[in-house]
Amino acid sequence: MQLINALLQANTTAVATATGTAADYFPIGIQLLFAIGFVAVMIGGSHLLGPKRRTADKLENFTSGIESHGTARQPMAIKYFLVAILFVLFDVEVIFFYPYAVNFRDLGWQGFGEVLLFVSFFLIGFIYIIKKGALIWED
Amino acid sequence: MNLVYLVPLFPLLGFLINGLLRKSLSKSLIGIIGSGAILASFIVSILLFLQVKEQGALPVEPLFTFINTGTFNIGFAFQVDQLSTIFLLIITGVGFLIHVYSTAYMHDEETKHFGRYFAYLNLFVFSMLLLVLGANYLIMFLGWEGVGLCSYLLIGFWFKVDNYNVAARKAFVMNRIGDVGFLLAMFWLLQKLGTLNYADVFANYKNLSGTDITGITLLLFLGAAGKSAQIPLYTWLPDAMAGPTPVSALIHAATMVTAGIYMIARSNILYTLAPLTENVVAIIGLATAILGATIALKQNDIKKVLAYSTVSQLGYMFLGLGVGAYTGAVFHVMTHAFFKACLFLGAGSVIHAMSGEQDMRYMGGLKKWMPITNITFLLSCLAIAGVPPLSGFFSKDEILAAADLHNPVLYWVGVAGALMTAFYMFRLYAATFLGKFRGTHEHHLHESPAAMTIPLIVLAILAVVGGFIGIPEVFAKDAHWLEHFLAPVFAQSKALQPEHLGDATHELMLMGIVTVLSIVMIVWAWRKYSKYQPAAEEETGLGKVLENKWYVDEAYNAAVVKPVNSFGGFLKNVVEKSGIDGIVNGAGRFVQYSARQLRLLQSGQVGSYLLFMVLSIVVLFLIFWNQGIIIAFIQKIF
Amino acid sequence: MNAIILSVIIGVVMMFCSVFVPNKNSYRHIASIGLVLLLAGNIAEMHGFSLFHINTKGMLSYDNFGLFFNTIAIASTLIYVLLSGRDIQKIGTYVAEYFVLIFFVLCGIAILSSYNNLLMLFLGIEILSIPLYILTGSDKRNMMSNEAALKYLLMGSFSTGLMLMGIALIYGATGSFNIEVIHAASPQQGANGMSELSVSFLEIMGMLLLMVSIGFKVSAAPFHFWTPDVYDGAPAVITSFMATIVKVAGFIAFIKLFDARMLGTSVETNKLIGVDWKLLFAIIIICTLLVGNVTAVFQQSVKRMLAYSSIAQAGFMLFALFSMNDVAKEGILVYSVAYSLATIGIFAILVKMKDFTFEGYNGLGKTQPVLAFTNTIFLLSLAGIPLTAGFFAKFFMLESAIKTGTYLWLVIAAVVFAAISVYYYFRVIQAMYFKAGDAAVVEAPTMSFKIGLLLLAAIIIYFGIFPQALLSWFYF
Repeated sequence: MQLINALLQANTTAVATATGTAADYFPIGIQLLFAIGFVAVMIGGSHLLGPKRRTADKLENFTSGIESHGTARQPMAIKYFLVAILFVLFDVEVIFFYPYAVNFRDLGWQGFGEVLLFVSFFLIGFIYIIKKGALIWED
Repeated sequence: MNLVYLVPLFPLLGFLINGLLRKSLSKSLIGIIGSGAILASFIVSILLFLQVKEQGALPVEPLFTFINTGTFNIGFAFQVDQLSTIFLLIITGVGFLIHVYSTAYMHDEETKHFGRYFAYLNLFVFSMLLLVLGANYLIMFLGWEGVGLCSYLLIGFWFKVDNYNVAARKAFVMNRIGDVGFLLAMFWLLQKLGTLNYADVFANYKNLSGTDITGITLLLFLGAAGKSAQIPLYTWLPDAMAGPTPVSALIHAATMVTAGIYMIARSNILYTLAPLTENVVAIIGLATAILGATIALKQNDIKKVLAYSTVSQLGYMFLGLGVGAYTGAVFHVMTHAFFKACLFLGAGSVIHAMSGEQDMRYMGGLKKWMPITNITFLLSCLAIAGVPPLSGFFSKDEILAAADLHNPVLYWVGVAGALMTAFYMFRLYAATFLGKFRGTHEHHLHESPAAMTIPLIVLAILAVVGGFIGIPEVFAKDAHWLEHFLAPVFAQSKALQPEHLGDATHELMLMGIVTVLSIVMIVWAWRKYSKYQPAAEEETGLGKVLENKWYVDEAYNAAVVKPVNSFGGFLKNVVEKSGIDGIVNGAGRFVQYSARQLRLLQSGQVGSYLLFMVLSIVVLFLIFWNQGIIIAFIQKIF
Repeated sequence: MNAIILSVIIGVVMMFCSVFVPNKNSYRHIASIGLVLLLAGNIAEMHGFSLFHINTKGMLSYDNFGLFFNTIAIASTLIYVLLSGRDIQKIGTYVAEYFVLIFFVLCGIAILSSYNNLLMLFLGIEILSIPLYILTGSDKRNMMSNEAALKYLLMGSFSTGLMLMGIALIYGATGSFNIEVIHAASPQQGANGMSELSVSFLEIMGMLLLMVSIGFKVSAAPFHFWTPDVYDGAPAVITSFMATIVKVAGFIAFIKLFDARMLGTSVETNKLIGVDWKLLFAIIIICTLLVGNVTAVFQQSVKRMLAYSSIAQAGFMLFALFSMNDVAKEGILVYSVAYSLATIGIFAILVKMKDFTFEGYNGLGKTQPVLAFTNTIFLLSLAGIPLTAGFFAKFFMLESAIKTGTYLWLVIAAVVFAAISVYYYFRVIQAMYFKAGDAAVVEAPTMSFKIGLLLLAAIIIYFGIFPQALLSWFYF
């Protein structure tokens, strides 16, 4: 306990005083130790105890049972990433509606206005990407 | 608004007109504008001088507030008192003559370069006036930097020659080293007194502790040593001879290099209170005087001889300041401005006639072709050698007499330098003007045009009679006009210095001995060099050391320039390129291994950058928690 | 508030300009108009007219210092766009977007000058940085530009991580994001009086990490490693923006963060418990000045030299943090104006040059006298020669440090380094005037460009003679 105190709190007069300092973090520290220890023991244990048979099949990448062809490091069309990232953006927008739906009544008209503002920002962004041609797949 | 603001205004206008319109104006118009601006300033300066003579120092009136923060306030103000009017007269008077001279000397330049030359010259005069007129250290510093800049520009005026650029840069860097001292002194004053105004500083000097005063004065002296070419910062001045000869006369002999003397004379009260600094100033001044004189003995370039002679004479001025003879130092500034400007302009006239040749081994016998240059040069040589009753005799004698009262050793060493001065000046004179012509283009030789000879004549007359404003006490009671005139400026110091009068007979006797010895030296040099034939073989022993200027430049190169260069190279090659990797290697295999792992994820460089960042965070962290120890350690060192 | 919201609105409007306005030449004019509007909006707020009234729950607070700095930043950007707008256009195809990103950066700056909460600090730094990553890589076909952008992004994210860690630690120690609350909370005083003072380890660690991450943004050594590579790789116009306005904004954020900590009662209490930030800042200043100045001496390319010079100048600006008094706060404003204007000018000329090496400037005094003349003034200002704004900037900084009365050696070292800096700035002047050669420019500069440069030089000299004018606006 003394040691952890000294570690977590630099204390020029060596007196632990105010609340909300080292002692409160002790359980967190313990939990951290346990978490790391558990993972380490499990991984290490299965690594040591498990039988090892290296066959060509086992070293193959898992591709849902379909045989893989060629290497994965191939250039891919930038459009793919563009569409993917735009999807994520709008996906996140939808996620925001869940908490809003829960609090719909409490927030009232002001909340509605704010969500409307939020949606309109996205709408503006949407218009922009369409106008810029970001979603046109063919060249 | 009073008259004083007109003084720097005219050169500024001249600079603007010549600088902006240098391509469209004709040469004669440029010359008239350039010289006319200085003439106008000179006239106003005379009016100011008469006013000050009548009613004493004028009140200081700020033109506008320069800086005003809650804690300190610096106004843009001019101070016109006895000291600054003397300098005004020297700067504008000698400056005007040199401008006139330049119109003829620089006549072969292209029109736009001609315009550029006069623009720089006007800008220089403007800055110099700012320097001596300012009512606080900051304005002085502005002028100080301004003259440094102009000096840089004018030394490198013929920028097509690479060496000249190097010389210009050397001058600038040496000056900046001195400026560090000046700046720090200003900060120190601000910190302790909260003001930079002369009036306030000198009124409140009692609030400064002994250490403060010593520190401030030493730092100021460092600045003065840079600008006025004293040991150890003098090496730029001889190289500065790369500029056109009138520039050497104006900037590197008559005015700019005396800025340091002005500064110390202005701060005389502080120096009087710091005996340690006074001794440092006196010893450095004397050492410079001797060093310059010895080197001048063996130089062959006519301008280099004069340059080292200037270094040496500046040393005498500092000696004067160091022993408390402020009037003497200012007096010597004035007489030196006369005879040294005349010598430089005479040298210019010779170089002009010789179509650019500066080596006196190829001169000789010029007396026949250049009678006016010859006679003015001879008179100035007599003046600088201290032959009575020419001006140099009085001013040098005043400084030496004060040194004698201070410490006889200073006196005798000073006398040795003075004798060397007499010798090398007449070596120069005899080798140039007497004997037979040793050059090749005899038919080119001619006397210079009137625009060049008239300034020579005026300056020679001043060099002859200029001494009479300061006749020593031993000859006539109360005849020292300059001392009475400057008395109010040095009154505070005077009150603190014990008044001790020398013994009149003793002084007269010394004077006599020195005069006789000087004349002996002159005759010796005259006889030896009037039949001068340059020796074919190389100098040996001491002669060689002197010819190579005591190897000071080489020593500086080895001690300062090379280490700085190689340190920079080290930082570039080792720290910048391989340092990060080096640290990685030094930290051992583990770090190497993890660095390699990191490189798999990121580009190698960024990885090591980040690693270094983290390491420095750790170091900062350790420092932070152990700062008590570190601060105690630092305090122990400083 | 005006500046934050207006900059976003104008940015979005510009985005749509790229879609609906086909004429690419008009974008820079639109951007200039937008900047004028933004400037007007901010000045209006300085005089108490706020267009938007939003309750930020104390997360943002507006004081004279921050608003005045906004004005400086927006005005500098306006000057920058007027001078270099044509060159921004030439970077690539997405012309309007470059201007949009600049507006977003300004939004980040406006947040940084008014944050009162560590989350807002984080938000501001990110809004500032992300557009810069893109701008750095905006020259898409150039490998150098791509590499620089990637490096900047990687190292920038690292420093963001440090910042978040720092904020988290501080929150853990004090339970608040609000800087006033945080500063009030520390150091804690024991029940029996002074003898039991203690300061939380976590909080100090957090402040240290914040210091490092903002130090990274202003390229203080030893966190400067990204600067030369990124400044060199990015298109020169963008470097100009990053090295000036953005860097100075970092200092404002820095000052707001450390302001309360160093001032007032906490100075005494900090001393009592042996915690003093001055030493750390002193070490960082020395490192920064050393690295910046000494390395700049050996550069062959003017652009890279300017990158190191910007590190060196940052070393001087750090003095404001070191001393943290009134002179320092006034000084940083003067410094930001003097430094930004001069550097914008130098870069505006650099962009026009065909060859970025020192040799490329040989003889510019003959071929382009106006460019060479104004460039000389800008360089003199950076070197701190009197009668230019740069002199007073350095003067204020050193004066503030002297006022603290300790660490005199630091001031001496700074003056020495300032003297060294003269060397590399004068190398450019020397090349322009004293070396033979015919410096080539990419295209003949227009009349308006030359007039703009001359005006900029005039402003620098004006502030060099009347530094008071600038500060009197501050106190208006």
